[in-house]
Amino acid sequence: MLLELKNVETYYGPIMAIRGVSLAVPEGRIVAVLGANGAGKTTILRTISGVMDPQKGEIVFAGEDIARRDPDAVMRLGLSHVPEGREVFPFLSVNENLRMGAYSRRDRARIADDLERVYDYFPALADRGSQQASQLSGGEQQMLAIGRALMAHPRMLLLDEPSLGLSPILVHQIFEIINRINAEQGMTILVVEQNAHVALRHSHYGYVLENGRVVMDDTCEKLESSPDIQEFYLGMKDQMPRGVRRWKKRKTWR
Amino acid sequence: MGGPESNPDLVRETRTADDGRELVFWRDTSFAGTVPTMFWSRVEKYGDRIAMREKDFGIWQDVSWRTFGEKARHTGLALRSLGFGKGDVACILSNTITEWMFADMGVLGAGGVCAGIYPTDAAEQVDYLVNDSGCKVMFVEDEEQLDKVLEVREKCPTLEQIVIFDMEGLRDFEDSRAMSYDDLLALGREQDELHPEAWAECLELARPEDLAILVYTSGTTGPPKGAMISHHNLVFQCVNAPHVLSQNEDDERMAFLPLCHIAERIFVYGSLYTGTKLNFVENPETVPENAQEIQPTLFFSVPRVWEKFYSAISIALSDATSLQKWAYEKAIGIGFKRADKRLAGEKPGAVLELAYRVGDALVLRNIRRFLGLDRCRWIGTGAAPISPDLIRWYLALGIDMVEGYGQTENTGIASILEPGEIRPGTVGRSVPYGEIRISDEGEILIRGEFVFMGYLNQPEKTAETIRDGWLHTGDVGEIDDDGFLKITDRMKDIIITAGGKNITPSEIENQLKFSPYIADAVVIGDKRKFLTCLVMIDHDNVVKYAQDHHVPFTNYQSLCAAEKIVELIQAEVEAVNAKFARVEQVKKFRLIDQELTPEDDELTPTMKLKRKFVNEKYRPLIDSMYGGQQA
Repeated sequence: MLLELKNVETYYGPIMAIRGVSLAVPEGRIVAVLGANGAGKTTILRTISGVMDPQKGEIVFAGEDIARRDPDAVMRLGLSHVPEGREVFPFLSVNENLRMGAYSRRDRARIADDLERVYDYFPALADRGSQQASQLSGGEQQMLAIGRALMAHPRMLLLDEPSLGLSPILVHQIFEIINRINAEQGMTILVVEQNAHVALRHSHYGYVLENGRVVMDDTCEKLESSPDIQEFYLGMKDQMPRGVRRWKKRKTWR
Repeated sequence: MGGPESNPDLVRETRTADDGRELVFWRDTSFAGTVPTMFWSRVEKYGDRIAMREKDFGIWQDVSWRTFGEKARHTGLALRSLGFGKGDVACILSNTITEWMFADMGVLGAGGVCAGIYPTDAAEQVDYLVNDSGCKVMFVEDEEQLDKVLEVREKCPTLEQIVIFDMEGLRDFEDSRAMSYDDLLALGREQDELHPEAWAECLELARPEDLAILVYTSGTTGPPKGAMISHHNLVFQCVNAPHVLSQNEDDERMAFLPLCHIAERIFVYGSLYTGTKLNFVENPETVPENAQEIQPTLFFSVPRVWEKFYSAISIALSDATSLQKWAYEKAIGIGFKRADKRLAGEKPGAVLELAYRVGDALVLRNIRRFLGLDRCRWIGTGAAPISPDLIRWYLALGIDMVEGYGQTENTGIASILEPGEIRPGTVGRSVPYGEIRISDEGEILIRGEFVFMGYLNQPEKTAETIRDGWLHTGDVGEIDDDGFLKITDRMKDIIITAGGKNITPSEIENQLKFSPYIADAVVIGDKRKFLTCLVMIDHDNVVKYAQDHHVPFTNYQSLCAAEKIVELIQAEVEAVNAKFARVEQVKKFRLIDQELTPEDDELTPTMKLKRKFVNEKYRPLIDSMYGGQQA
């Protein structure tokens, strides 16, 4: 396992957002965490990358316990976090944004290689190298944020809702690229998503998070065929004699 | 009731039973001996007093007897005008809400028969019950329950009308054979204005010996059986039971168990008779919060709820400060000492009593308040076996728990430990208005006016159950010299091991369930070399344990598979084993690694494991404990 969480609990003041989460991300795989708003998905990523400290539990990355370390130190170990809502530097150019991603590196030649590779993954960015990041579209900003994370030459990417606010076709494109990065570089990826359709189609393994707890985990094929996932995350419902059914059946997570 | 002596309508009768015991019966002559006339006499007597309460948008709202009466009356009159006549059957498919009672009293008032269906039942079961009972009118709670009925309606030729209590989400729903409860009441109001005398005539339709309600018993084998309970069966219990278990118009009760079950039904009817206020909980999950708000004065429930309350305290304590823990240990320790004195029939000494008072004022009282039990005159348990240790804990807490025994087939209660009598392990003595004896085979037999009419459409089952006037309960037990009844087990549950040893699994199971980490357990071993057991964990508490002890898990299955959790349960099983002889010890166990809900076949609506189903469904798991060989 490249990354392992064991019984992690994280609080916002008195509020327990992560109520004991254990999960594992094997090297070279894409693992998805699904959940509704407020389930604790973002908090998990923030806890892993060190933006937040867990009250309890272990976070082991490449054999080292990284819980309660500074975000900077975590990043230097090879964990890059693409935050929710892109968070690109608005007044820097696309090129500068990408170079900021490599701020911790000294190997200039390899940085240039990586920059080239990022432009190769995201041709749309290549055309706009000198443009201010704030002038990019939402989709381009998302690409920029992922590109910036890649510039740190990480062992693993943490992606927070890459589909947020994007059109279906762009969501599809972004995930295609994520798959490519995974396939070509063997990049390990932990992605949290509300868009269960896309996340399940493009990942290997999935965890379902509700109220800060994992309620189900399995391979994505198995999750896709689970009745509860179909009803609550994929919006499929049995046909009833009355046509539409508004009430929700009880979740059993099988 | 202001004491039976002051009530001129109450007549006392006595008779000497075969065993020389004096039987005492009370008759209430103020109404005609049927449920509708009993109900209506209360509506007239109590008028604007509070009959029930229910939360609406978070605020408890009162329902007066006048309103209750009016709703029942309009329901009944509307049903009449729809062609629902004497002896016709209506079903209610709903959780325990006030409308359940309005509809029930309306149906019975119209001379009809009322059958409840568990809201957790699936459409196929609804299909079976509707056809078995010949149901004409179906009351459903909401959209969810309605869908079950619509799914099977085509297969139910007798079903003419559906009435929906809650129309939320159904504004655009149109159906010639379905209407909202409000529309039904409006129809009833019209009828009432046209024929103001009609209701009084309706109330006289039923005779005491007529069928009043059908109670379907969740058959562990074969389809459910509809137990036919007459008006007299019900009224007889309502009038007599309060003389054993005191209950009056100043009391507050909570209504939350399924009304299709005889225990809740008879307690609710008893409350109608005695004028006890009924507080309907929001939903089954809010029972603890609602109990805190209501602070009932009487509280009857099933063992599962009492176990939950106990676990809530033990779990809360694990998070308490060391001062709080110390205070609890001290106070409950004194409570246990005092309880043991009382159990031994001795009076606690002055010093002990004083220490208890201090502990009570400082600690125990707060726990009782937290549980909502501080005002309780008595708390009762029944409908399933309970661990004597649990009764002892409540006793230490300062609450006397009375245990009762009875069946659907005898309309609820047949024996009871009266408040003040403490004999954990027994279910008390036969009520003074009925008889209990043990057959030569050891089976418990019951006789009395509360014994039911028989099973609907199953004369041969009826003949098997009622023989020579005695109800054959299928339970095995014994009666001691003081007349206290001890239930050993269900006759068909007794395990005979390969070694020929008779073992009563429920004793072992009750001990296991006393662990806060075990929700339920089924002991296995019939025709086997040794005993084994399947355990259903208490999810919340085990999750908490895992979290506190750094046991990583993701879902229910991996939680059950975690080594430390298996060790935790192992320790609990071993602690129980220590209390039993070697042949009665559980040698191996397995955890059921799937979270079960009442919709599953293997659980009853009250979240108990059904032995039969568990034995069938988990056969491979069971066989694995015996090295793969079959019994």
